[in-house]
Amino acid sequence: MAPSHTVRILDGNTFVVCEATGDIEATPTEPTGLFSLDTRFLSKWVLTVNGERLNALSYDDLQYFESRFFLVPGLATHYVDAKLSIIRERAVGGSFRESITILNHDEKAVDLEIRMDAACDFADLFEVKDEILNKKGEIYSEVEPDRLRLGYRRGNFKRETVISSSVPPRYDRNGFGYTVHLEPNEQWDTAIDVQTLAVGPGGRDLRMGLRVHGTERLALQHDLEDWIAKAPKVNSEHGQVAATYRKCIVDLAALRFSPLSLGGQTLPAAGLPWFMTMFGRDSILTCLQTLPFTPELSATTLRILAALQGTRFDDFREEDPGRILHEMRYGESAAFEEQPHSPYYGAVDSTPLFVVLLDEYEQWSGDGALVKELEQECRRAFTWIDDYADLIGSGYIWYERRNTDTGLENQCWKDSWDSISYRDGTLPPFPRATCEVQGYAYDAKVRGARLAREFWGDPAFADQLEREAAALKERFNRDWWVADGGYYALALDPEGRQCDVLSSNIGHLMWSGIVDDDRAEQIAHHLVGPRLFTGWGVRTLAEGEVRYNPIGYHNGAVWPFDTSFCAWGLRRYGFADEAAVIANGILDAARYFDGRLPEAFGGYPREQTKFPVEYPTACSPQAWSTGAPLLLLRTMLGLEPHDGHLAVEPRLPVGMGRIEVLDIPGRWGRVDAFARGRLDLHQLGD
Amino acid sequence: MPDATTRFFEELDRQGYEPLLAKISGALRFDLHEGPQTTHWLVRIDRGEIRVSQEDMEADTVVGTSPELFDDLVTGRENGLSALLRGDMTVTGDARLVVQVERIFPGPPHAQGPHRYRKGVR
Repeated sequence: MAPSHTVRILDGNTFVVCEATGDIEATPTEPTGLFSLDTRFLSKWVLTVNGERLNALSYDDLQYFESRFFLVPGLATHYVDAKLSIIRERAVGGSFRESITILNHDEKAVDLEIRMDAACDFADLFEVKDEILNKKGEIYSEVEPDRLRLGYRRGNFKRETVISSSVPPRYDRNGFGYTVHLEPNEQWDTAIDVQTLAVGPGGRDLRMGLRVHGTERLALQHDLEDWIAKAPKVNSEHGQVAATYRKCIVDLAALRFSPLSLGGQTLPAAGLPWFMTMFGRDSILTCLQTLPFTPELSATTLRILAALQGTRFDDFREEDPGRILHEMRYGESAAFEEQPHSPYYGAVDSTPLFVVLLDEYEQWSGDGALVKELEQECRRAFTWIDDYADLIGSGYIWYERRNTDTGLENQCWKDSWDSISYRDGTLPPFPRATCEVQGYAYDAKVRGARLAREFWGDPAFADQLEREAAALKERFNRDWWVADGGYYALALDPEGRQCDVLSSNIGHLMWSGIVDDDRAEQIAHHLVGPRLFTGWGVRTLAEGEVRYNPIGYHNGAVWPFDTSFCAWGLRRYGFADEAAVIANGILDAARYFDGRLPEAFGGYPREQTKFPVEYPTACSPQAWSTGAPLLLLRTMLGLEPHDGHLAVEPRLPVGMGRIEVLDIPGRWGRVDAFARGRLDLHQLGD
Repeated sequence: MPDATTRFFEELDRQGYEPLLAKISGALRFDLHEGPQTTHWLVRIDRGEIRVSQEDMEADTVVGTSPELFDDLVTGRENGLSALLRGDMTVTGDARLVVQVERIFPGPPHAQGPHRYRKGVR
């Protein structure tokens, strides 16, 4: 997707992806632009001085919502002679604001023609990687005395980009320009404001009254400072751990997203740049990872997902009563039903995970009121699991898409088309059932039983859920165990045949608790063994499988989020040392990305490449990659809520030195956790 | 023969309680515009208890559509959130109310729901 030299700043789902000069010249291969509401609002934004393009000396991402570019006219080969400096400073927050400063370093006065070419194709986010040829609506450009209006109209659907400037320029339909005379050492400034409007027929913006925090630069700054101040502090001898943690907390702030029409509550969006929206699965898993540090995200995520829980059958959106959504989008393709994201429900894991998060959140926060508030939603979720998701009547959650044009074939986290296969590499027919989702369903029932007993006053329902969970565990251990491999199959086909490949999904099974105790050690060995563990993390598919490819998205690449749940699973079954091994691998990898783990990196062995090879099109920052170091900290420190207290039982590698986590929030108020690395990883390998 | 919109609101009023709206309270007014004429439906919700009238009174949320589109919404032929994104349905005031009330509109009339699998029958 976006090459690494692009610069990204954002606020909620308004963001800018641009070149190192600050310019935007969108192409299908470099889909830069100003985006909001899943729509591009600027596809061209090019600054020239006397007809010349500018060259970047440097740029800084000051905060996630602002950046600064130092530029000179001309090409790299002769810019050393430049007598002019141009500074572009920009921020997003409600609108997009750019200030331009030009300094004349020459001993002579200069006359300058400063021009910004501005245009927009109003591409839907789903179109930006294609040539945009056949927009169904009309694109227009209107020059007004004090502004330039770029717009797109299709029926009542209207999106407009409105550009104005503090120094009045000459506007034309393709941009605007200034004629400037600068004496020696004189400076010139202007502030440009770009509004992104989603206007309805009444002239009101779709987003009106929706802001959680102020959008002025100072308000954004204060909001970020508050967010950082509220989160626990991490200090470490191994300085990188603390630095990675701080980076993650700031990135989580950036990834907060306030869905339209839900009153300004925020939840973690999935990732920048292409996933700045709510995803049931990504938001829930990120909340689970970050609960010890930013618990408020969980409460809002649960409320928002509950408010949009499915209520009816809709085959296009794959909606069923009780189903938790997969993805919400606000662009033209969702509006005109060319894509199903209004919202789309094609995921089978977000519904059980919803219950899992609610229980985990209560154990940390003591917020029983929310458990009571969401009782009916949980009951509907169980109805979905038991009835609508069991397409075969075999007691498992299955999927087969009903939207065969634009729906997802694989409705689990490994959602690429070729992610589920038999050992011979062939793909199974539908419906399919993947193993980790059965684990989530088991965990949801066990946890739901606790909620029913302690909060809903329904011990009979609790007993029923426990019986169902026990039966599911027994059935699962019978049907999914791959005897000749000593692990669980990735999936079952409709005839009950196993997709008998070794995959990272077995780590999620450990986390869910569905693994029989006498099989846990075999699973633990696989997770830290050479076929799955690269030294950095756990491969999505084991080396040696027919479809294994170190840069196969779900067929061999390492996903830090995935590995973090494997570590949690290992710890759950008492394999604290093995958990520390893979936690250590991911935290080491984070150093190579300045603390910002990408979505995925290559599954090459650590000793072969010496550094983690970033997956070519990985999205960054991504919420559940950002959450991974936080979950790994929890795992290594053995942080567990226990009878209203926070238990701490650290198992750290020697190289980690001392780690302290201060002010961990929860039902206990705020407590600190201290740990010292005592674990010799080399001994473990022997 | 009343239209689908009238039947929808009359049925909602008769139903009296809607569990899907148990968490919300507020007044929502639907203004159905047809040329110079506007038909009003006022839905008062008090934690799931519902009363419907045709008063043109202040409301927390005012929703505007054409009568044709609203007929399609209450029969499942059109989707409320898509209509909102398209600008064919407008909202002023508290948008949360309309997002919640939209959930009680039916699904598409020909929706099949989950495909049950039976061996040998595809």
